[in-house]
Amino acid sequence: MTIKNVKDLNKIRKTSLATQKKHPKKVLVCCGTGCIANGALKIVDSVRDGLEKRNLKDVTVEILKETGCHGFCELGPLVIIEPQETFYTKVKPKHIEDILDKSFLDNEVIEPLLFTNPVDGSKITKYNDISFFKHQQRIALRNLGKISAHDMNEYIGVDGYQALAKVLFEMTPDEVIGEVTKSGLRGRGGGGFSAGRKWKICKDIKADKHYVICNGDEGDPGAFMDRSIMEGDPHGVLEGMMIAAYAIGAKEGYIYVRDEYPLAVKHLEKAILDCERTGLLGENILGSDFSFTIKIARGAGAFVCGESSALMKSVAGEVGEPRAKYVRSVVKGLYDEPTVLNNVETLVNVPTIIRKGADWYSSIGTKKSTGTQVFSLVGKVRNTGLIEVPMGITLREIIFDIGGGILDDRPFKAVQTGGPSGGCIPESMLDLPVDFDSLTEVGSMMGSGGLIVMDDKTCIVDIAKYFLEFLVEESCGKCTPCCEGLYQLLKIVERICAGKGVEADIEKMERLSENIMLGSLCGLGKSGPNPLMSTLKYFKDEYIAHIKDKKCPAGVCPELITYEILDNCTGCMACIPACGYDAIEGKKKEVHVITQDKCTKCGACYAVCNFDSILVS
Amino acid sequence: MIHITINGKVVQAKDGEMLLTVIRREQIDIPTLCHHEAVEPSGACRLCMVEITKPSWDGWCDYVTSCLYPAEDGLIVNTHAPKVNELRSSILDMFLARHPKSPEIRQLAAEYGVMKTQFEEVVDGDNCILCGICTRICDTMGFKAISMVGRGHGKEVAPPLNMAPAACVGCLSCAKNCPTNYIEYNMKNGGLTIWKKDFEMIACTECGATTITKEFAEYLSVNRDIPFDYFEKCDACHRKELAGTMGRIANWDREARS
Amino acid sequence: MNKRFIVKPELCTGCRSCELACSFTHAIDGVRSLTRINPIDGGFKDLWVPVTCLQCDDAACIKSCLVNALKRNPVTGAVELNHEVCVNCMACVAACPFGCAILDTQTNLIVKCDLCGGDPACAHFCPTKALVWELIKKAVKKTG
Repeated sequence: MTIKNVKDLNKIRKTSLATQKKHPKKVLVCCGTGCIANGALKIVDSVRDGLEKRNLKDVTVEILKETGCHGFCELGPLVIIEPQETFYTKVKPKHIEDILDKSFLDNEVIEPLLFTNPVDGSKITKYNDISFFKHQQRIALRNLGKISAHDMNEYIGVDGYQALAKVLFEMTPDEVIGEVTKSGLRGRGGGGFSAGRKWKICKDIKADKHYVICNGDEGDPGAFMDRSIMEGDPHGVLEGMMIAAYAIGAKEGYIYVRDEYPLAVKHLEKAILDCERTGLLGENILGSDFSFTIKIARGAGAFVCGESSALMKSVAGEVGEPRAKYVRSVVKGLYDEPTVLNNVETLVNVPTIIRKGADWYSSIGTKKSTGTQVFSLVGKVRNTGLIEVPMGITLREIIFDIGGGILDDRPFKAVQTGGPSGGCIPESMLDLPVDFDSLTEVGSMMGSGGLIVMDDKTCIVDIAKYFLEFLVEESCGKCTPCCEGLYQLLKIVERICAGKGVEADIEKMERLSENIMLGSLCGLGKSGPNPLMSTLKYFKDEYIAHIKDKKCPAGVCPELITYEILDNCTGCMACIPACGYDAIEGKKKEVHVITQDKCTKCGACYAVCNFDSILVS
Repeated sequence: MIHITINGKVVQAKDGEMLLTVIRREQIDIPTLCHHEAVEPSGACRLCMVEITKPSWDGWCDYVTSCLYPAEDGLIVNTHAPKVNELRSSILDMFLARHPKSPEIRQLAAEYGVMKTQFEEVVDGDNCILCGICTRICDTMGFKAISMVGRGHGKEVAPPLNMAPAACVGCLSCAKNCPTNYIEYNMKNGGLTIWKKDFEMIACTECGATTITKEFAEYLSVNRDIPFDYFEKCDACHRKELAGTMGRIANWDREARS
Repeated sequence: MNKRFIVKPELCTGCRSCELACSFTHAIDGVRSLTRINPIDGGFKDLWVPVTCLQCDDAACIKSCLVNALKRNPVTGAVELNHEVCVNCMACVAACPFGCAILDTQTNLIVKCDLCGGDPACAHFCPTKALVWELIKKAVKKTG
């Protein structure tokens, strides 16, 4: 049906809510990319078959929900039984019969599939009792894992497009901008610029056309929050864009999605099509004067295309290289017209801000960084995944309460924030409240919200090398300091890792980094040396250990470590076949010996030894 | 007209013209490697960076590429501030590490005191500095026969699919404007080879001298409305022809008078 | 500008003073440039024709330039070549039907007559007044 006015919209909402009430019993299957990779689509099929067998075929749509990502991807596929909120992890098709019989039709709980608390080994039944979820506050991720990702009616059922109706009929564009400015919403793409102010600047420029672009080119290694949002709540993104477009007077919008996100593209395409069919996109939306269209622009996945000027070039069909921004893209962006470019997460927050008000939003978080932030928590923590927490929460709370602490109870060493251009934060700063400004102050950044936790077995020089490798690989190659400078930084770090560093290298790196930051064309180059500079600042000792003592304290850099077999070797011979290079010799029940010349330091012997007889030093 | 201060001297400039233009007009020497007046500035080499400030900026300075920064009234520019000089030599050092064999780079680096790079030299580094002058000129001229391929350290200039580019007319503008003379071409026996594509040069019908390729002449003839026979003689023979025509007229005049 | 450059072959003796004047006037850093004017044998006894750019109205050189390096000076009427913009593609050299855009092989620059920005040196130095830079009115009277 078409949605010609607010009345039509509310009718759908009512119907949707009534259906929900009629069928409180639901099976939610997480169909985020992580869970799909783990076989969620097979689970969906099994549930569908199971429902058919139980003569529930007619109400399958109401019962079975293919939801967006819950964020707890490592335990996928996830299945939740409503209304009990029973949370099952690592579900396989063979479990479905049991789940349907016992848990869905009856109120039983299938213990083996429940989440195991990594701290004490107890089983937790309910979704919201798990510490990973308990400490979160979900605004941007509000609909993820709750509704069918591609069903517009369900989105409308959870107050979807109410904010759009509100701005179109109750607010002027200036009031919308005022509300968003007042809410304190800052760009979640990394820059942290006030979204409201950006809109205001753009609106105030007289031009033939204004554009809204949604930046879904998420390129940081390990970050997948934008992906999850686009996959799991595409209508939320569209509604945010529509509100932004209304505020600045844009008639056309683009969503820039990388081609590596096929599911996001699929869901967004469906959402756009649904909106166009019903009239939520197009001419005179909801019977107002506001007209707006959205197109999807697919990027080829270059990291640099997340940079605003490169992104706009890419949307326009040119080579995605940044340009110098003495004239900002808000003023002269896509096709040289004023353009608002907002990140997915920024836009998806907007409808809620409009619905609940700026005061409500600014009451969350800190004074200067309001609201919540989505992080992807990965690395050496027990619970990894996507989380949304209020700004100002401490790193300790994130890592130890939500993340459940460090894997294997090893000591915490550092946390890397902000993606490849961010920095490493040491243990002494664990109580740092996380917001835009505090992170920048300590030499890191919010970035798009990546959090990589490291334990004592992580070599900090190796980490710096990893990020530099990434940045060198992803540098667009336009300007010299970024392309050549980062390459040379990498060469120096590689030399240090190989035990060939000299003391002068540290100063050389510092000076080169300064020049790269000063001389680079775009933000990626300017922040490129960050991972090196922050590790050099907080972990200088480790660099010096590599350079002076030719030792890698964490036992990672192959050239700086040796593998030895200790006297407590039982002579079990397990390590001999494990070594692919015939470096280990020994007889049964005699202490084995590693021939150092042949050893490639791969660690295979260490992995198979059951007696802790292999010493890495 | 606006006024800006460059190295202590107040100079006039047009509002919005790029700082580099003003600086060069004042005969102040700052190096560039990616700048060519025929094409839009790109800001790739970063050598033309200058220090700018304004009295209202409270002592704060910014560092910008002068080729892309529009002049504003009251701007104070320092083209050779210590930080700028250090940055320039550092960038030239990076260039030298990447292109150790390029005589042009070596000379420019030496001018900034970099005789030998402190970084690791790129083994078999070529002389293409990825300034993009060739590709931008090709784009501006309307051929778009070559472009940047790849990214980062492995980027290179190449025609599509590394095959003889259909769009190339063999005008040689890419090769002739390459700051490091990296682009190779071969001209012999009335033929030309560039980007793996072979061209035939137009030979003067009078003396056989060659000027441009047949493809280029055809392109100009079709797209620029120039009669093709204009291209069939070399400039020297054209001049002789003109002298002959004018000579005949003058001779009539002379004979008529006598 | 109401002045016009006039060539009178009947007065030319082929002394080549114009070439010298042109060469030195357009010298760059003390290096002589290729002359833009050449007295060429007109094919008859004692007849020399000083050949130089005619500053055509519908100039083939301007049409042939793909980077807009050639522009007409609205004051002097001369077609001027901006060397900073020129990419040396030789299009104008090939396109000029009078051969008056020339490649200076010493400096590798394409050169053409620019009327010295409004005061042609060759006219100053021509001992026989075969080259004159004169007011248009006068010229109209004489020929008309």
